[in-house]
Amino acid sequence: MELKSVTDPQYQILLDEKKDFRRKTYKKIGLTIIYIFLVLWAVFTFVPLLWMLSSSFKDSSAITAVPPELLPKKPTLDAYKRIFEVGGMARWFLNSTIVASISTIINVFFASLAGYAFSKLKFPGRNTIFWVLLSSMMIPGQVTLIPLYILVVNTLQLENTYFGLIVPGMVSVGSIFLMKQFMSSLPSSLIDAGRIDACSEFGIFRKIILPMAKPGLAVLGIFTFVGHWNNFFWPFLITNTNSMRTLQVGLTSFRFENLQDYGAMMAGAVCSAVPMIIVFLALQKYFLRGITIGAVKG
Amino acid sequence: MAEVKFVNVIKEFEDEKKGKVRAVNNANFVVKDKEFLVFVGPSGCGKTTSLRMIAGLERQSSGDIFIGNRLVNKVHPKDRDIAMVFQDYALYPHMTIKENLAFGLKNLKTPKAEIEAKIKEAAAILSIENLLDRKPRELSGGQKQRIAVGRAIVRNPSVFLFDEPLSNLDAKLRVQMRVELSELHKRLGATVIYVTHDQVEAMTLGQRIVVMNGGEIQQIASPEELYENPNNMFVAGFIGSPPMNFIKARLDGNQLMTADYTLTVPVGLLDKYKAYQKEEVVLGIRPEDIISLNLLNHQPNHNVIEPTLKVVEHLGAELLFYFNIGEDQVTGRVGADAKLKSLSKVKLYINMEKMHLFDPNTQERI
Amino acid sequence: MAATVSETSKKWSWVNFKQFMKDYGWCYAFIALPFLLFLVFTVYPLITAFIMSFQEYGILESKFIGFENYKYLLENEIFWKSMKNTVIYTVGTVPVNILITFFLALMIFPINKRSQTFFKASFYLPAVTSGITMSLIWLWMFDPTESGLMNIVLGWFGFDQQMWLASSDSALFSIMLMTYIGGHGSGVILYLAAMGGIPKSLYEAADIDAASWWSKLKNITWPLLKPTTLYMLITGVIGSFQVFEATYVMTQGGPNFATTTIAYLIYQHAFQYYQFGLASAEAFILGFVIIIISVLQFKYMSSDVEY
Repeated sequence: MELKSVTDPQYQILLDEKKDFRRKTYKKIGLTIIYIFLVLWAVFTFVPLLWMLSSSFKDSSAITAVPPELLPKKPTLDAYKRIFEVGGMARWFLNSTIVASISTIINVFFASLAGYAFSKLKFPGRNTIFWVLLSSMMIPGQVTLIPLYILVVNTLQLENTYFGLIVPGMVSVGSIFLMKQFMSSLPSSLIDAGRIDACSEFGIFRKIILPMAKPGLAVLGIFTFVGHWNNFFWPFLITNTNSMRTLQVGLTSFRFENLQDYGAMMAGAVCSAVPMIIVFLALQKYFLRGITIGAVKG
Repeated sequence: MAEVKFVNVIKEFEDEKKGKVRAVNNANFVVKDKEFLVFVGPSGCGKTTSLRMIAGLERQSSGDIFIGNRLVNKVHPKDRDIAMVFQDYALYPHMTIKENLAFGLKNLKTPKAEIEAKIKEAAAILSIENLLDRKPRELSGGQKQRIAVGRAIVRNPSVFLFDEPLSNLDAKLRVQMRVELSELHKRLGATVIYVTHDQVEAMTLGQRIVVMNGGEIQQIASPEELYENPNNMFVAGFIGSPPMNFIKARLDGNQLMTADYTLTVPVGLLDKYKAYQKEEVVLGIRPEDIISLNLLNHQPNHNVIEPTLKVVEHLGAELLFYFNIGEDQVTGRVGADAKLKSLSKVKLYINMEKMHLFDPNTQERI
Repeated sequence: MAATVSETSKKWSWVNFKQFMKDYGWCYAFIALPFLLFLVFTVYPLITAFIMSFQEYGILESKFIGFENYKYLLENEIFWKSMKNTVIYTVGTVPVNILITFFLALMIFPINKRSQTFFKASFYLPAVTSGITMSLIWLWMFDPTESGLMNIVLGWFGFDQQMWLASSDSALFSIMLMTYIGGHGSGVILYLAAMGGIPKSLYEAADIDAASWWSKLKNITWPLLKPTTLYMLITGVIGSFQVFEATYVMTQGGPNFATTTIAYLIYQHAFQYYQFGLASAEAFILGFVIIIISVLQFKYMSSDVEY
């Protein structure tokens, strides 16, 4: 575009300043609208969690009161007492902690071993094996579920044991992939330096790679822990006594075994959700960083 | 005694797209004991692969490698009596500098007291005593570089391997480290094999230089020899900056016919070119052998040309000027007092005593 | 990636094998255990499931019945109903949620870093709660009496109470509605990371070319985010085809099969009626459909992705 010559330069400056002011104002208004909307949406997404919290402190009459109480007028811990005394929440909580912790440690260990091999070592068949693993991620879990169930319950006789809960989840292709992504960002020259420094191959892994991969291990560990804590279907299939149930399985018993006890349901939901929310708030930066590692397009 | 010897060494890679790729083709050479040898060439020429084969980080596809008198084909890097300095320094980020230096010795089960003594000695040589308790991330590029060298020194190897160690430093520091490395070599009295893509680094550091291209060794010679008598057009073009000019020409008697001018070949050289009479050749002439006539105190009667300069660049002490002979662009370099101007016609003398002729087909020097 | 061509790999002999193991054996040691577990807990079940899908499975004895399971399913009304439910659920949730995610990311992108982190964390937070927990909460929110939160809110605006999950007309929609609120956090983070990767100079060039906000969005942002969109589309579809927990907890597939998804049907056949063969066949159809859709999406979408 050609700049037009202006007859009155003073007038033109005034015009330009006006335009500039208008642009800035629009921008400010736009930003304000954005903030308002984002805050509203955040509140909106918290509503279910807040409703859960509020309902868990109501007694059974307050929960079905008309008109409904948004906040409990007389907060009580009745519902929590019920889930601990009748339900067995303490035991479920313990089971979930044990299963999620052990699964996480094993998973992270195997994933870091394999992730290191797939990202940094050269050996015949490496890419083929990796693609076999990766393509298995497309297969939905339902396909392998039944034979897995028969294998664990009938062949290995592990029904209703911690082993049975942990064993099928010891290796996850997703974890291996995440670790491979993370480790390929570590410089290979350190591995060469380690070899020249007379370090054994496993020593290189243990003394050089693992310490450097700590942030990645933390990310994977957290995601795996939350994943196993929240896992429902396998524990649901493999446990058949109340004392072996994990928290997620236990929660559903308030739905199906005790008649529609919403107070207990919400108290249980709090027990399930709050630990994870605390973990999230404490380790936020790992969560937010971790999401992008796994999703790098190959 | 630590000679390094390559006998018919070939290295092939399997590339997913290109299939089999030869990174190093039939390399034969001997690095003499206590020599500073530099590998130089463009990226992908096989120089780093050669170094990594000496280190034992890559295994050659065929051929033999000797270090000292020992055949090391199947020897692990740790047992080769070598140490290596990496391009990115490869300092272990989670260890202190002291731990970095001690790591190799510890793995070799060296007694503690000896480790301490060696670290102290190396630290004194490189004046890095005050850095020992820091972590690598707290150091500047130049300091990291020193530590990387220190890690090699404490191993007290008979062969030092350097993989482009100065390429991550800024220009000023690079010059300084170059001098230090040169001094270090004299002081340690070990064989040094050094890889770089920078021909200036190669020329200033190397006692002998191996020029590589496309996996082939082009020439092994001292810096002077490489500059004066390059084996082929690649070496001639790679060594020296700005590079040697190549001008298409035809040889006829003692006359060299280029597109625009006829030049005279000195009598002493004619014998060499006998086989190329009446043939197409490529004339190679270095920029400094194209001299502005106003700088000469005698007036030569032949080999004077009078082109129009396209561009003149002022570099302070000297001038670079560009003109064409036929389709070939020619670069000249003269002292700044020649006072050349762009787009002017100037008289230039071509010092044909320093000429080279190349076979346009094989690219070899005639 | 290049692997070394060792001269030892040319022909097999005991000596060569020993050298090969010396060269590479330790590499395989790193993946041996994980790979073994993968074989036992993924490959072996996969093969068994495939065989089972052609059998009438019994604990003591299984009968080979060819394609009967598949034939039964393809003629079965409830199977088609569940297929239809799954497709409606997927079409109704995945694209909508990608759009919501995209606009959230678009709004977060221009604000300052601290607020960005705050909103990223807020939007992600509901995702750390389990599917079961969320389903229970929504079950309570969708309570068809006047104490259900959704009905309370409708009451504020003067609308009639709804049956939500209890009516076959609205049950599936209610489950879809649940996904619209919350759960966009990870997508937002992915989009933001990708937006950060778009060179600023493109927008500057567009500014000089007098492009409007909308034109920049249409011609720069959206096309350059296509790889992320594709990733979210494929993972989203794979996930939503397997939706189970919500229907299990909230509706048990009802009322009148209105929320019976494929995954739920597989569960019913396998673990309520113990028809393992039939359930395996169903699972294979599901897997087949998922793979076909993923490949189609990839083919169609990635054809004009700019890297």
